[in-house]
Amino acid sequence: MPGPLEGIRVADFTWVWAGPTCTMQLAHMGAEVIRMESMRRVCTLRMLPPWPDGQPGVNRSGYFNQYNQGKRSIQLDISKPEGAEMAKQIVAMSDVAVENFASNVIDRLGLGYEELCKVKPDLIMISMSGYGRGGPESGYVSYGPAQVPLSGMSQLTGYSGWQPMHVGMSYGDPNAGLHAAFAVLSALFYRARTGKGQYIDMSQQESTMAVLGEGFMEYGMNGAQPPRSGNRVAHMAPHGVFMCAGEDRWLSIACATDDEWRALCGVMERPDLAGDARFRTLADRKANEDDLETEIMSWTLTQEPFEASERLQAAGVAASPPFMNRELAEDPHLSERGFFVEKEHPEVGVRQHAGIPWRMSETPCEVWRAAPIMGQDNDYVFGELLGLSSGQIEDLKARQVVY
Amino acid sequence: MPESALDGLTIIEYNRTGGAAYATKLMADLGAEVIKVEPLTGDPDRCLGPFPGGEPHPEKSGTFLYLNCNKQSVMLDITNHTGRQVLDSLLRDADVFIHDIPPAEAEALGLSDKQVRAGKDRLVTTFISPFGESGPHRDWKAYDLTTLSAGGWTWLNGWPGHPEMPPLRPFGRQSAYQAGVNAALATMGALLARLRTGRGQHVEVSAQECITAILEMTFAFWPYMNAPTARWGQRPIHPIDFFQCKDGGWIFVLCVEEHQWQRLVELMETPEWTQWEVAANRFVRASNWDALRPFMEEWVSQWTTDDLYKAAQAKRIPFAPASTLSQLLDSEHLKARGFFVEIAYPQAGTIKQPGAPFKMSETPWEIRTPAPTLGQHNETILGERLGLSGDEIKSLNGARVG
Repeated sequence: MPGPLEGIRVADFTWVWAGPTCTMQLAHMGAEVIRMESMRRVCTLRMLPPWPDGQPGVNRSGYFNQYNQGKRSIQLDISKPEGAEMAKQIVAMSDVAVENFASNVIDRLGLGYEELCKVKPDLIMISMSGYGRGGPESGYVSYGPAQVPLSGMSQLTGYSGWQPMHVGMSYGDPNAGLHAAFAVLSALFYRARTGKGQYIDMSQQESTMAVLGEGFMEYGMNGAQPPRSGNRVAHMAPHGVFMCAGEDRWLSIACATDDEWRALCGVMERPDLAGDARFRTLADRKANEDDLETEIMSWTLTQEPFEASERLQAAGVAASPPFMNRELAEDPHLSERGFFVEKEHPEVGVRQHAGIPWRMSETPCEVWRAAPIMGQDNDYVFGELLGLSSGQIEDLKARQVVY
Repeated sequence: MPESALDGLTIIEYNRTGGAAYATKLMADLGAEVIKVEPLTGDPDRCLGPFPGGEPHPEKSGTFLYLNCNKQSVMLDITNHTGRQVLDSLLRDADVFIHDIPPAEAEALGLSDKQVRAGKDRLVTTFISPFGESGPHRDWKAYDLTTLSAGGWTWLNGWPGHPEMPPLRPFGRQSAYQAGVNAALATMGALLARLRTGRGQHVEVSAQECITAILEMTFAFWPYMNAPTARWGQRPIHPIDFFQCKDGGWIFVLCVEEHQWQRLVELMETPEWTQWEVAANRFVRASNWDALRPFMEEWVSQWTTDDLYKAAQAKRIPFAPASTLSQLLDSEHLKARGFFVEIAYPQAGTIKQPGAPFKMSETPWEIRTPAPTLGQHNETILGERLGLSGDEIKSLNGARVG
């Protein structure tokens, strides 16, 4: 496994989406990530669709397989004392431990930071709970979808005059996962220079609020909740997603400058609009934004969005259709850049997955293997790493400590 | 001994979209020294707002202030030969150079990786662009909205059952935040590799790909089931929905696991509809949600938001309120955790803003200085550090007039 984190091992206690997003970044960089999976409480993602042919199965979920690429999996019941002891042995051989149970669950399992430091004094450990450790709500339970409303994002997102909305995905999860990976890497950098590990307490609520800075700044400056404004923003016009010809076809267009606006008029073949006093400057276009959008939509309604965005881009106008999954999967740009990952998987075969959004010139990052099936690395971890004999492993299996 | 996680690192930043500025904010808040190179007109985020009273002012833009605490600012016209030489001197002593100038323009400005890193073996260059540095759309123009569309996010957001309403952006420049956090973590990876190899390298980040990489399970629905995605993503399980409470607030009703639903049924005192076959498990509830929804709506409307939130959480059901900003700023929980930080900005006044996205036990996250005014550190950086004379600095700034 080449990559910038070659030689780093991660004891991965995570499940659902947030934690696995963190450890996947570390796997992308070449760390050896060992997922410890319970058979009594199977990872939620393994139980969710999509599944090939609609047939469920713990190794068949595209959701799980997307966010666990490049990791190892062992079946270990850490709720049993012997299982927890084995988890500790794995931690002792690791550099990083990551968990995203509800606050304090990991302590109850006897696998809290202080316990783990006894076997690995310079351990870096991160807990990614919904509400963080400490504070009156720290015992509350949370999942990614709820972080969007909880953090304030729903009250800020939505059509003008409509109710608060979701954002279309459980954004709190991947956002926490990426911030967590950054925190772990920073802690590794500190450890490399001082020999010291540390504990990181992440609240997903807080990491979500960190990306709503402009909302809090507006409140702090003007004392008012920013109103929901659909796709409109103060500093650009037009700035919207416009209906096109056909069913559920759309085109997003954003103009920051008067030049871009005039170029848009050129592509629409509407020189009259370029000279129209209602739309000359940004201030004019903001003042007459309803009219502006009506004029643009009268053009987009006659257009195929991909073809129109090509022409707008050629004229220097920022435009893109809202891509749906199929259009992303078939996008020649993403394919030519080698973004997608297609590795053989023991049960679902070769499927397309989203890959790594960065490229490094000297220590290339890559997905070395598809997401693991349950227990794919039992032999490697129990036998090779922990040095257990096959007799010992059989004995542990008989007592359902391992499977 | 370093006193903070990133103590001793020097980062040069040139920001256009907020992506570069967020990447370096994450690092500055952990102790890295960040020097912003701003054009004579200033970082464009200075024009973005929000502004106090809605009055534009380059030292009062909320977006700029939030993203640029702990940084220093030097004003430099990098399109001019002398300015460019000064930038090179800064880069010679730096560990990282981060910018988010699109590839074609970066090349024209002499700021591509090849042009920048020659002769600077230890430098890490991290460049963010909307579509990456290769491929047929490399030079497509983009702003946050169109990047979110090209990445597949806006398609997921909207109102199921209202086909006349457009795909919708989430609040805030989320493509910039995502490109920023990805750039920060990839930069840390490159710096860790440098500890081993002694060499820097180039990191490129595609904002489009940063979005496509986080589309929950929706992308996989195509390669796994040939199923196109619908607005508000795929919600294969239910309840996952908003309801209005009797005080006018909104609550997010969520049961992911079956045992959470069972406890919700108890909380509702087991009404008949919850025993119907169409409510039997999370998947069939999803298929029949239109029919079940009114029952839930009726029940929720008898509660105040806060009572329902607390009652659900007492039974370990993961409900959450749709918080307003003032509710968050007043939250006892967040106060106890010390989340918000109050920053005194010299011109925009004192503002309470989001603090640490995570807490590290050994190394502080802290705001040491408010965002810099434009060119605030010309003298200390250009004069004291690079040894330019007062006249030379003036003539650099004079290029603005001339």
